[in-house]
Amino acid sequence: MLKKINETRKNFDNDLSKVSDLAALEELRIKYLSRRGLVSQFFDLLKDVSKEDKPKFGQALNQLKIHTQTKFDKLKEKLEQGAKISETYIDLTLPGRTRPLGSKHILIQTLDEIKNIFKGLGFSVYEGPELESDYNNFEALNFVPDHPARDMQDTFFITEKFLLRTHTSPVQIRLMKDKKPPLRAIMPGKVYRNEAISAKSYCLFHQVEGLYVDTDVTFAELKGTLVAFAKQFYGQNVLYRFRTSFFPFTEPSAEMDVWWEPKGKEGRWLEVLGCGMVDPNVLINVGIDPEKYTGYAFGMGIERTTMLKYGIDDIRILFDNDKRFLMQF
Amino acid sequence: MKISLNWLNDYIDLKDISLNEIIDKLTYAGLEVEGVDEQAKRFENIVVGLVKESKKHPNADKLSLCKVNDGKEEYSVVCGAPNVAAGQKVVFAKVGSIIPSIGMKLEKAKIRGEASVGMICSGFELGINDDKDGVLVLDSSMIEGKPIADALEMNDVVFDIAITPNRADALSHIGIARDLSALFNRPLKYPQFTLNESARKSEELASVEIVDVESCPRYVGKVVLDVQVKDSPDWLKKKLKRIGLRPINNVVDVTNFVLYEVGQPLHAFDLDNLNGKKIVVKSAGSNKKFVTLDSKERNLFTDDLMICDGQKPVAIAGVMGGENSEVVATTKNILIESAFFNPSSIRKTAKHLGLSSDASYRFERGTDPNITKWSAQRAAYLIQLTAGGEIAQGEIDVYPKPIAQKSCKLRLARISKILGYDIPINDVKKILIQLGFVIIEKLESELIVTVPSYRPDIEREIDLIEEVARIYGYNKIPEVNKVSVTLEEKVDQSNFVDRVRSLLTSLGFYEIITNSLLSEEVARKFGNPITVLNPQSSEMSHLRPSLLPGMLTTISNNLKVNEKDLQLFEIGNVFNKISDGKIESFNDFSELEQLLIAISGNSVRSEWYGKDRPFDIYDMKGLIGSFVEKLLPDITLQTNFEKNSTRFLDYSFNLVYQEQVLGNGGKLNEETCSLFDLNQDVYLYQFDLSVLKKIEMPKKSFNELLKFPKIYRDLALVLDNSINSNHVVEVIKEVSSNLLHNIKLFDIFQSESLGKDKKSLAFQLEYFDQNRTLTEEVVEKDFKKAIKVVIAKLKAQVRGG
Repeated sequence: MLKKINETRKNFDNDLSKVSDLAALEELRIKYLSRRGLVSQFFDLLKDVSKEDKPKFGQALNQLKIHTQTKFDKLKEKLEQGAKISETYIDLTLPGRTRPLGSKHILIQTLDEIKNIFKGLGFSVYEGPELESDYNNFEALNFVPDHPARDMQDTFFITEKFLLRTHTSPVQIRLMKDKKPPLRAIMPGKVYRNEAISAKSYCLFHQVEGLYVDTDVTFAELKGTLVAFAKQFYGQNVLYRFRTSFFPFTEPSAEMDVWWEPKGKEGRWLEVLGCGMVDPNVLINVGIDPEKYTGYAFGMGIERTTMLKYGIDDIRILFDNDKRFLMQF
Repeated sequence: MKISLNWLNDYIDLKDISLNEIIDKLTYAGLEVEGVDEQAKRFENIVVGLVKESKKHPNADKLSLCKVNDGKEEYSVVCGAPNVAAGQKVVFAKVGSIIPSIGMKLEKAKIRGEASVGMICSGFELGINDDKDGVLVLDSSMIEGKPIADALEMNDVVFDIAITPNRADALSHIGIARDLSALFNRPLKYPQFTLNESARKSEELASVEIVDVESCPRYVGKVVLDVQVKDSPDWLKKKLKRIGLRPINNVVDVTNFVLYEVGQPLHAFDLDNLNGKKIVVKSAGSNKKFVTLDSKERNLFTDDLMICDGQKPVAIAGVMGGENSEVVATTKNILIESAFFNPSSIRKTAKHLGLSSDASYRFERGTDPNITKWSAQRAAYLIQLTAGGEIAQGEIDVYPKPIAQKSCKLRLARISKILGYDIPINDVKKILIQLGFVIIEKLESELIVTVPSYRPDIEREIDLIEEVARIYGYNKIPEVNKVSVTLEEKVDQSNFVDRVRSLLTSLGFYEIITNSLLSEEVARKFGNPITVLNPQSSEMSHLRPSLLPGMLTTISNNLKVNEKDLQLFEIGNVFNKISDGKIESFNDFSELEQLLIAISGNSVRSEWYGKDRPFDIYDMKGLIGSFVEKLLPDITLQTNFEKNSTRFLDYSFNLVYQEQVLGNGGKLNEETCSLFDLNQDVYLYQFDLSVLKKIEMPKKSFNELLKFPKIYRDLALVLDNSINSNHVVEVIKEVSSNLLHNIKLFDIFQSESLGKDKKSLAFQLEYFDQNRTLTEEVVEKDFKKAIKVVIAKLKAQVRGG
């Protein structure tokens, strides 16, 4: 019987090679693949085969069935499409059949890169809401009411007590109220600034906040951690500097600059992040004893870094979502 | 803030320190130098020249032919000025220089046939005055060849320094010099002067009364009589101009000078315009309007602090003086105001008036209550110097409740706990002293210091640590090269959404990020939006209640640039009011993380191997199916189909899990399409990620692979159009045994030959048994049941096979 099966297979291949239109194909189907066709007939014979031989024949039959069905299907599809080219005609310069992939927004890709670096350094990832209370966004972060420090961040207010967060720092407050130290986390998200839209600024942007609170956190460790980040993100040979700055929620406060020298242009120091030791007032506001615990915090914008990296000079294109832009990343 | 290097040199000697070193030190210490204007650079290649010879140009009546010596060589220069003459010292611009007033680079020229190598400049051309009529003739003592920047003292460097809001003390030249003195370990020199006072006393010539002591803790007044108001002398004008101020008259210029010298804002009143020769400091009360000295009428709040005379307001305290009492050309007698105001009072007033002045900028950051008297004296001295007159003896100094001096403890161990580094104790002490702190007690492990009154920002130990660290140098604090990773529970709240992104991008979607702020008109159509109190524009006055408008705008914009085949998604937060009242707590609004998916245009573009095919609802169903299958594995979702389900969709289907709708979407209706100017079909699907995230996923487990063959049966049916395919599947499943595992619709068509309102559906039925090989008979039995039931229940005709 195995011989017969093989014969049928050869005959099928032979018949198939002569098929040139759908009518002939239908004839082929009836001959081999219909319910009374040759292939089915073999299955009917199977019940007479001895128990020991059954698996062997069963397997051979299945292979025959798959072989014939597959070849039939293929040819059918080709004939139905009115096959423009023959199987023997091969032009490898023809474009392939593409299956385009999409992509994450370039800002999210940058964010992912940053997230991965800090996750490797033992940081968790937390998120918080964009519509925040004035308390979480300012007061708990040691922004004194009626102090000019508030002018550092032009704010969209919803009411007197609610606003669109101006930085991701309120997530620090939420996290420290929610969990006990040790805390080591980054907090990415959208933030808002009440500024006119221009090539340089948009009403919203993305930030990543970082926080580490434990019993022995120091400024030296903050520096070490951020340098490790900068080397991974900007390259091992990155030039950097820390200089004094002011944020109400950290003290001492610093800004980190990296040396940026685009090809063919003059280099300059570029501010990439703000950081510092968590101000004792902030720790007191969330019920952590500043005598026992110290902490550091940092925050960086995603847009500017992304724009530098890819040579984008107008921030608005990031939010235009033109497909020709999206497809580049 | 603009700071002049020459001016700084009045208080600290920096002459031997390089510019870059000064810039670096300031920047590292928190006084970021954002810009540097080197005056001399504007005058490069412009030197003092000696006119050796001047004769008439042979070919032009109005031109002269000169020989100019620059100390080394002689140059032929054609000059058009009538006043040029031999023996003059002049401003000589050499070839290659840039003429400051016009920004033009000077080249060799031939003028009417005569070579001209360089140019003799007028005051206008040099950019120092408006004189265009002749060349600028210099003092004959000037030495030829000397750079003009040095000869005319135009070699100043002006820094543009960004002062952070905590550093009220650094908003003056002395303030900056004080940091420099600590940074370079050099003495700070306060200006010295001796007052020449008359016998008449300030106290007898005028009086001051503070009604609102809370807002004005100290007010110092000093009188200067018989002044002559006129232009300031050159030295004063020059100093002010360099830092970008416009000279007005000697009295006003002196007040500005003192402000930029020491940081104390001053105001000069025309004493004769003060009713009763009296100052009363009180809130505006019933005064609603006030005209400031810029001739603008200001609307006052009741609480605004005003400086009044015996009758009326004469200035908005700490913000701007009034037109009714300003110093003018005819002013004879002056009252100098040097006060300390409460920072938050000034800030409130300046804010609501939308008026920020040099004075309010300093007062709201906190000035030094103890410099007020000195500043008044300094101003009186300089007024007399520049405007003559008679300085009345003493000051009117109203200071009912003197502000107590602050002191602060600094534990040395705390410095290393915060910094992770021990700064030597001697450095700590030296830095503090140079910044003006006084060490009143030195114990073994801690210092107790008094805080100078010009440092309102320093109250706590941590403030002192920052002072020490920033002057010592952040860059000297080493970076640790290993960190300990604590092993608390690690969480990634962004994990789920990241998976959503990965799945969608692998299905061919591009992610977009749109503006969360919309116009009221658009926002209202899509929900119950939240209003922004102070929007930039009416186009961005409301928070988005839905991702739809952003997505549809994006599609519309893409169509305009001929990008028509779109597969997009956005993940973002949407905001809706829950109650109609004012938002007073987090319960009054919702902020939900949503996902919106959209497809439009062609699914397949025309290529050599196939024709194009537009997206339709089945693409959306399939894409959503693949997405959900991977995102929520092993969860069975219910799907419901609806027509005209929402205001935006023609027809739609949703996904339900445990009675909770997870997602919903369908085909965008005509009305909404036209709203966004969309001329092609759009299919949308929306998920509430906040809900999706919370679904508890059953543990994924492995399914044994099938070891036995499958058997297939095809079933082609002619049915009424009204019977949908899912119904057929359900009917067959009902009568079939558990050997039937899958029913796949593989063909569908309608034609007249089938009859009116009829369609043909062809299904493939898949049979198998996990544990054995099926026989044809067993399958046949099941299959016949299926045929019977579709004929009986659905009145189907079975087509021959």
